[in-house]
Amino acid sequence: MANSALNRKFDRIRALEEAGELKPLTGSRALRKMMNNRLAMVGVVIFLIILLSAIFAPLLTAHSPTKIDLRSMLQSPSGEHWFGTDKTGRDVFARVLYGGRVSILVGLGSALLAALIGVGVGCYTGYKGGILDVIALRVSEIFMSFPQIILVLLLVSIAGQSLANLIVIFVLTGWGGMYRLARARMLSLREEEYVQALRSFGISTPMICYKHILPNALGPIMVNITLTTAMFILAEAGLSFLGLGVPLNIPTWGNILNVAKDLRVLQNNWWMWLPVGMVISLFVLSVNFIGDGLRDSTDPSQQG
Amino acid sequence: MTGEVALSVKNLKTFFYTNNRCNKAVNGVSFDIKKGRTLCVVGESGCGKSVTASTIMQLLPSLSRIEEGSITYHAEAGDIRIDQLDRDGKEMRRIRGSEIAMIFQDPMTALNPVYTIGFQIGESLKYHTDLSAKARHAKVVDLLANMGIPEPERRAKEYPHKYSGGMRQRALIAMAMSCNPKILIADEPTTALDVTIQAQIFRLMDELKEQHGTAIMLITHDMGVVAELADEVIVMYMGNIVEAGTVDDILRRPKHPYTRALLDSIPVLGRGRNQDIKSIRGATPDPYQRPKGCQFSPRCDFATETCSAMPDEEYITETHRVSCHHYKDISQHD
Amino acid sequence: MLTFIIRRLLIVIPMLLVISFLVYLGLELTPGDAVSHMIDPEAASQMSPAQFEALREALGLNKSFLERYATWVYNMLHGDFGRSLSGGVPISEIFLDRLPATLELSFLALLFSTVIGCSLGTISALKRGTATDSSLTVIGMLGVSIPEFFFGLVSILIFALHLRWLPVGGRLMPGYETFLDRAPHIILPALVLSLMMTAGVMRYSRAAMLDSLSREFIRTARSKGLPEWRINFVHGFRVALTPVVVLIGFRLPTLIGGSVIIEEVFQWPGIGSEFIGAVRGADYPLVMMIALFSVFAVLMASLIVDVLTAIIDPRVRLS
Ligand SMILES: Nc1ncnc2c1ncn2[C@@H]1O[C@H](COP(=O)(O)OP(=O)(O)OP(=O)(O)O)[C@@H](O)[C@H]1O
Ligand SMILES: [Mg+2]
Repeated sequence: MANSALNRKFDRIRALEEAGELKPLTGSRALRKMMNNRLAMVGVVIFLIILLSAIFAPLLTAHSPTKIDLRSMLQSPSGEHWFGTDKTGRDVFARVLYGGRVSILVGLGSALLAALIGVGVGCYTGYKGGILDVIALRVSEIFMSFPQIILVLLLVSIAGQSLANLIVIFVLTGWGGMYRLARARMLSLREEEYVQALRSFGISTPMICYKHILPNALGPIMVNITLTTAMFILAEAGLSFLGLGVPLNIPTWGNILNVAKDLRVLQNNWWMWLPVGMVISLFVLSVNFIGDGLRDSTDPSQQG
Repeated sequence: MTGEVALSVKNLKTFFYTNNRCNKAVNGVSFDIKKGRTLCVVGESGCGKSVTASTIMQLLPSLSRIEEGSITYHAEAGDIRIDQLDRDGKEMRRIRGSEIAMIFQDPMTALNPVYTIGFQIGESLKYHTDLSAKARHAKVVDLLANMGIPEPERRAKEYPHKYSGGMRQRALIAMAMSCNPKILIADEPTTALDVTIQAQIFRLMDELKEQHGTAIMLITHDMGVVAELADEVIVMYMGNIVEAGTVDDILRRPKHPYTRALLDSIPVLGRGRNQDIKSIRGATPDPYQRPKGCQFSPRCDFATETCSAMPDEEYITETHRVSCHHYKDISQHD
Repeated sequence: MLTFIIRRLLIVIPMLLVISFLVYLGLELTPGDAVSHMIDPEAASQMSPAQFEALREALGLNKSFLERYATWVYNMLHGDFGRSLSGGVPISEIFLDRLPATLELSFLALLFSTVIGCSLGTISALKRGTATDSSLTVIGMLGVSIPEFFFGLVSILIFALHLRWLPVGGRLMPGYETFLDRAPHIILPALVLSLMMTAGVMRYSRAAMLDSLSREFIRTARSKGLPEWRINFVHGFRVALTPVVVLIGFRLPTLIGGSVIIEEVFQWPGIGSEFIGAVRGADYPLVMMIALFSVFAVLMASLIVDVLTAIIDPRVRLS
């Protein structure tokens, strides 16, 4: 019976408790829970490994991600080229490392910018209410009634393809969710007594919302930033895979995968797309693990 | 018939194991619930009243267990050791609802929002009686009418959100009483309701006791309610029973310093307006850092070194028992 | 219920009007002469400038912006969505041609993800803390982390190229008509498209189920002596259903968006691949109309979800 294991565990805890060996837990509860969350820690490690190897790419590989070398086309992985080479002899490993720089920049950068705008607007209008709030809400509703990819593609078709455009477009399509979240938190927090007290002291509105209320809403916002980062990295990969994201001459994870649209490459040159696909998946997975861990550790309703 | 023991609890211990700690929420309590009588359980928040009640119904969460002691239900067909039954086994399920029923503190959350009241009351009947669907419906309407709900026929078809708090609690009582249980456990049934509704609910429970000879275990904070309804009272503190007796024993001749402090801390109706109200010194300790011996000693004005050993339960009279090293000295102060 | 639906419609319509206005604005501002996406290009090539100007007048293109917008909306309501720049095909024809494929794919994916997601999530919640639960949690995480198109590529490689069980892509081969004939074509794209949503629904229904099981009415149900299955399903699952339906509605845009990429991967001849073609070819009228249509689909879907929620949750119904 499964219960006997539970019973043994109970016996052990009881023995320890009676021996007075269990101490009250100290330190930040959120941090402790995060540290205890094995998946979140795995996430942090993977995240750091991929991030650092992208940043320190020149130290990890001597190859250039863009140098064409027609003598070593389509080589399968070897000691020289860890992930082999592509159709024009470029080193895939180097491309994955350098591509990571752009992809992570696009993902994390757009998410942070979107958060900055969304939270900035959401906090202020959510706290103040009134006409500004109504306008911001309607505008965000318009943005959010498009499926994200479709809106992005629509804007890409108008604005044209470039790295900067893509980031701007991501921010435009991503701020709405962040705004909604911050606003909702604001609406409930502004009724709290301490806020009323601050107001009666005559403290200015921006001061109250950004300095006093915002820190209390930070947990869910952090979680949302991680989830948005994951979403943007996937979106960048998808768009570049279609050839409509970052211009093809800049290596990004999505652009590297682009070659796999060719069925021959798909079948015969696995090294050109499989490793990078796995790197994207791993990276997004690690971000999601971190987000989940953050959510659990900042959610007061959960025990543990 | 009245006064016969319906359920006896002996040296019951229920511990919680959440957060990898061991919380001795109920640490050795003994009492009887008698037919046609009301047993009131009082004590500060966190002293283990609700846990005792849930233990009797085996409604504990998974990270907890009954460590020691016995719960014996004296059924007509013979005694049943509830503590030895499987938590969600067939026998336990049969007892719940039909033999022992429970009503909870917050009627606003105790009903499932997506089913009609009639459905939820009928569910009990469905599992504990052989009534046909039609007969069940008739019985539900009947029960609601008995609880004083106007237009029971229509009300049975309504969802909980259309009921007021008081009406929900009545519906919950109707649900609990649907199979004529021998024992009714009510865990602070009126805390969430306003005073006039409270009085109505208690009158209802009293009538049920008179009519059906139901044994009632009533958990409450309200000494006024105790004075009004109780036949017997147990006073709990940090998982122990510090004093138990008839309602007169406890309200008129309290012995334990905690009972006295508790009574002093509450204005009593009828004692006039110039009452001397004292709050109890200090706060209840952290359940993980329980004091040695008498749990109340750190807050007790009469504590001495002897109090670092657990006092035995002593019977002052046949009905009145107390756990205190010094109760005799204290009563001399009066 | 009818008033409920009407009230919801009253919210949806202004939204559609505002967005269609923005789309029209976009159409006017993007390059390309307005006449060109309103008439047959062959006819246009044979016209003299004077005729052209007359046509502009006739089509109302010299009227004020608001009037032109009103005409445009009026035409749309009568089924005239304008013409695509490439080939001058009426956009309504493209829709008629491509929509069934997309609907077929999305519905099947929705079905997969709802059924699989809900069941796995519920199992996971009921077996909380066990090995089954942890592995389902990790699988769910993987599901939301793997790019759908990458998953699609891997599945094409395995099932189509190596095992040769299923075709690489496409929808219909000439001469095959019935749904059963098409079934092998749709399995992979539908499964791949549903992957992310399945994982999402699973994670969410687990959370909703756990939340519902921790509520007090569960304790009430247990105190009535009901059997465990009834407590879990009749009480727990039924209450968890509302937030899950809401989530599914909330995620529908992602499904619609996801189909754009998946259709491209599997060369599924739906609106999505048409959209990508239009974006590539800077065929603005078509891009705008498909985007507008996707908003319409999202708003309709959310309307349906609202009605569904009202049906399954009596608290919503009357408030
Ligand atoms: N579900 C639970 N999980 C963990 N610990 C619990 C749980 N329920 C109760 N406890 C612990 O058991 C002890 C007794 O709690 P209990 O709910 O019985 O108090 P109570 O006397 O009913 O208080 P109140 O008057 O506030 O209802 C407390 O220390 C509490 O922390
Ligand atoms: Mg309680």
